[in-house]
Amino acid sequence: MQINPHRWFGVGQSGAPDSAKAGAEAAHAAVGGRTAKAVFVFASASHDLPALLAAVRAEAGPAAEIVGCTTMGELGSAGVTDGGVSVAALGGDGFTVRVKVAPINPSDPRAAGAAAAEAAHHLQDEHQALILLCEGLSGRPHEIVRGAYSALGATVPLVGGFSADDRQFKQTFQFYGDEVLSGAVIGLGLGSDGPIGVGVAHGWRRTEPPMVVTRSHGPHIYQLDGEPALDVLLRRNDFDGSAEEFFDRGRQLQPLGLSRRSGEDIRVIHAGDDAERSVWGTADVPQGALVWLMEGDRQALLDGTTQSCAEAVAQLEPLPPLGVIAFDCGGRRAGLIEGGLDAEMRAMHAALGDAPYAGLYTLGEIARVRGALGMHHLTLVTLALA
Amino acid sequence: MLAWSTHQLTEYFTAVNAAEDETSAIANAVERAAEMVDAEVGAVVREGGVHGAYGFGRVVPEAGVLEVAAGQPMLVVPNVGELHAVANPLGDQAGEALVVARLAEPFAPEERQMLQGMGQVLGLALRSIRVLAAERHLRAEKERQATSAQTRQRLVETLLTIQRGISARRPLPEILDAVTGGAADLLGGATVTLLLAEGGQERRLTIASTSGGGVTPPEGLARAAMAGGSALVRADARGQMIAAPVRVTGEMAGCLVALLCGVTDENTERRDQLAAFAQQVSLALTDARTVEAVREAHHDPVTGLPNRALFLTILHRVLASRATEEDPTSVLFVDLDRFKAVNDSLGHEAGDQLLALVARRLRGCVRASDTIARLGGDEFAALLHDSPVETATLIGERIVAAVKEPFRVAGREIFIGASVGVAVSREAALKPEELLHNADVAMYRAKKDGPGRVLAYQPYMHAEALDHLSLRGDLQRALRDGEFRLQYQPLIRLADGKPVGAEALIRWYSPTRGFVSPVDFIPIAEEFGLIIDIGQWALETSAVQVARWRRDFPDLGLNVNVSGHQLVHPRFADNVMKALAIAGLPSSAVTLELTESVLMSEPDLGKAALHQLRGLGVQLSIDDFGTGYSSLAYLRELPVDELKIDRAFIARAELTGEDLALVRTIVELAQILGLRVVAEGIENAAQLAALRRLGCGYGQGYHLCRPTDAAEVPAKLLRASIAVLG
Repeated sequence: MQINPHRWFGVGQSGAPDSAKAGAEAAHAAVGGRTAKAVFVFASASHDLPALLAAVRAEAGPAAEIVGCTTMGELGSAGVTDGGVSVAALGGDGFTVRVKVAPINPSDPRAAGAAAAEAAHHLQDEHQALILLCEGLSGRPHEIVRGAYSALGATVPLVGGFSADDRQFKQTFQFYGDEVLSGAVIGLGLGSDGPIGVGVAHGWRRTEPPMVVTRSHGPHIYQLDGEPALDVLLRRNDFDGSAEEFFDRGRQLQPLGLSRRSGEDIRVIHAGDDAERSVWGTADVPQGALVWLMEGDRQALLDGTTQSCAEAVAQLEPLPPLGVIAFDCGGRRAGLIEGGLDAEMRAMHAALGDAPYAGLYTLGEIARVRGALGMHHLTLVTLALA
Repeated sequence: MLAWSTHQLTEYFTAVNAAEDETSAIANAVERAAEMVDAEVGAVVREGGVHGAYGFGRVVPEAGVLEVAAGQPMLVVPNVGELHAVANPLGDQAGEALVVARLAEPFAPEERQMLQGMGQVLGLALRSIRVLAAERHLRAEKERQATSAQTRQRLVETLLTIQRGISARRPLPEILDAVTGGAADLLGGATVTLLLAEGGQERRLTIASTSGGGVTPPEGLARAAMAGGSALVRADARGQMIAAPVRVTGEMAGCLVALLCGVTDENTERRDQLAAFAQQVSLALTDARTVEAVREAHHDPVTGLPNRALFLTILHRVLASRATEEDPTSVLFVDLDRFKAVNDSLGHEAGDQLLALVARRLRGCVRASDTIARLGGDEFAALLHDSPVETATLIGERIVAAVKEPFRVAGREIFIGASVGVAVSREAALKPEELLHNADVAMYRAKKDGPGRVLAYQPYMHAEALDHLSLRGDLQRALRDGEFRLQYQPLIRLADGKPVGAEALIRWYSPTRGFVSPVDFIPIAEEFGLIIDIGQWALETSAVQVARWRRDFPDLGLNVNVSGHQLVHPRFADNVMKALAIAGLPSSAVTLELTESVLMSEPDLGKAALHQLRGLGVQLSIDDFGTGYSSLAYLRELPVDELKIDRAFIARAELTGEDLALVRTIVELAQILGLRVVAEGIENAAQLAALRRLGCGYGQGYHLCRPTDAAEVPAKLLRASIAVLG
């Protein structure tokens, strides 16, 4: 843990089964008795979340803005946990924090993004970022991010992630203060007199040939190249069996890459329907889009980890990183399972020069530094503070 | 990196077209475009303002964006920097553009190209949304007004019918009628007329559809609305008039005009409703394959002249607007002679060229204010204002003279002719169709007297034309009731006078008409398609007859005439072989006679059947040789066995040196090609002697043997044979 009287950043984790204990342990390590301006809490949905938040509040003090969400696994300097909690805290005169919360209206998700972005409206600091923690099962994550960008514009970078519920895909939660919310967007405007860096990388590559999405609606894909989408995916994976067997426990997450100038805009397909022969993920796949099945071996994914961290840290030059908040995709995690997760943590340590980091595995990542596109999948987004 | 850009247009197209209103279409378009090219900011400039600004945050540098739309390549965005910008037009409207700007680097050519496409896609989407929105507005308005469920139901059905008609690509007139009918309904029984501008400098307005009464629409108001580009309302003594302009792909194409009799209050709602219907028309016209299709609906594409429908519309207008009965309107019906032969021998393309040239000459024969139209095929019509029958006949003769001059088509001189029928009307009540029909009847009568004539309609011609029609019924009955008979005329070998064959000749004794010459009824049988059955009957009957005679005269052959219509019948060869098989007549005993003109008019179609029959042993004779259309090439290409010299060559009682030279040429030609030669129409001993001297092998004619009923033929054959022996 590094202490800076003007700007400080700390992290803490806990795998304790008792929610209050876990919250207290992780928050204690992160806050360390200082006056926190913001506390980020990433916890498994399996916890007793109000109890956990109450324990965090007790450690953070009444003035701290507590924000967070549920995860598909937590990560931090101490490693990766499942069913645990990971906390990052920051404070000091150099930081300004504003929070805005907006419920998502399913017919107009972008309004929630725009409302949450107001958190960054009145920041006067030299360096700014908007951190978004959003409901992961709203079905139209792009619209939330577009809403935020439309309100904020190109002047402020966006980072953040979409909440998960381990692997249930049933209900995810967002935290604001002592409250546990669902279906909400939390925007935290962060101002700093020190530089802020954002890194984005994934480490997947295209598998030829590409396919055209010939029929889709929202996140549901019904046809690829005019053929039932599930049949195509099963055939391309040389798999004989039902959709449930295929997507069993997320091992067969299917990343689809949409062609973009800067590479691919990735969607994760995590489920299918045997009767309908359709497949779906959490973000919409536009009809008419050209998509590639993406593949990634462990090394390529680990290279992506290093790249994302290095990119974020490089923007802090000449200052060293104070700490990092990481939004890592649950799909990357599936690709790194069985030994790969430790390797990813080692890669982050190495790239960050032992600066502390905390974060979560998400259902989608947010990062916009250049261009207008802010929504990502299967990506590691890192927010580095100096 | 061309690939990524082309990949995205479809995706973009889908996203933009999914939008239901202009705002979301613009937002979709700007956001997708910015995301796809990694641009930080984007906006649409339209109607002088900035819309859908994206990525600027709270302060949009509107002046800068407008400058980009006007061509400025850089855009300064506060707190972001100086961005490379590009404007992509939404359509033809100057200054309307989809603007995107990027910090990183200028846009590459392929990115610009894709963005241009995106601009066009957005422009299209916005235009169609406007139309749909207008329609929705219209529906909502009307629903508010409609008091009874029945009215509401009818309105919704009308709009749905129009919409369905457009999407199902129903014929354009049907859709247009639905629009005027629907608008008339909506406006409570107004007279609604759709006027469309024709091509050409004067842009004459034509009524494309009208509903709700026979009031002539005020053309001045329509023109004013078209000039101003927006709907106009004007009140006069009759009531209120509304005119709403119709555009096709942005171009002013016409006007929808409503006349509300007895309505005096100024009502902008009605004006907006009519404007919305006008947009429906615009949509339908744009969809109906644009302006071309509209023109095609009224004009003949080959000649550019008005078609039959437009001609009748104009005629209707002229007849209705005639001030007094003293200034008559004339219609000329022009039919080309020998056009079919040109079309068949030189091909349809040459035929079309010829029609276009004819159209030009016809236009030159009339005043600018008169109308020339192509009714179809080789038929034209002329509408002459204020022309009594004498003037009209003179113009008809001018037309005949103009068409008689040679045309140059496909590198050769073409000679055709024209027959003209004239009909003049002084009666206001006469229908345009009737007047045209009378001219047609007169033309038919003129043609009957020989090509190149002009005749004015007389009531008796109508009776003749009716007779022509009734002849068809009589022919059908004749076939059914066995009124046809065959006569036979022997073919004689001139060297020894021996009969070698018999030509079957059809005769019709009608119980009501008496004897009808084949010259009169065969063309009608051909016209109505009865010739196939009549020809087959003649073949079957004569084959049975000749087979019977061959028991006594084993070498006797049969000559049967075949019509071109039979020749092109797909089962012709089969039908011939079937007839011979039933009769038990060997195919080698049968010679089919075809006229030259038939062989020329269907050279390819008939060829296959003739070769097939020739392969089975049937022989082929060219009837009336020397009168046809000139080409001798078919003698080489077709399996011909016999030439029959037309009677015209030996018609004179005493053959002149010139006649003899012609006949000698044909005989020598036949000898070179190894063909039999038959001279027709030998009527005296001198002719017979001359033909013998020339080496003509066979002959027919009254001097040798008249056509005879079947019962008398054996006796004649016997006598001729004895004469030979003697």
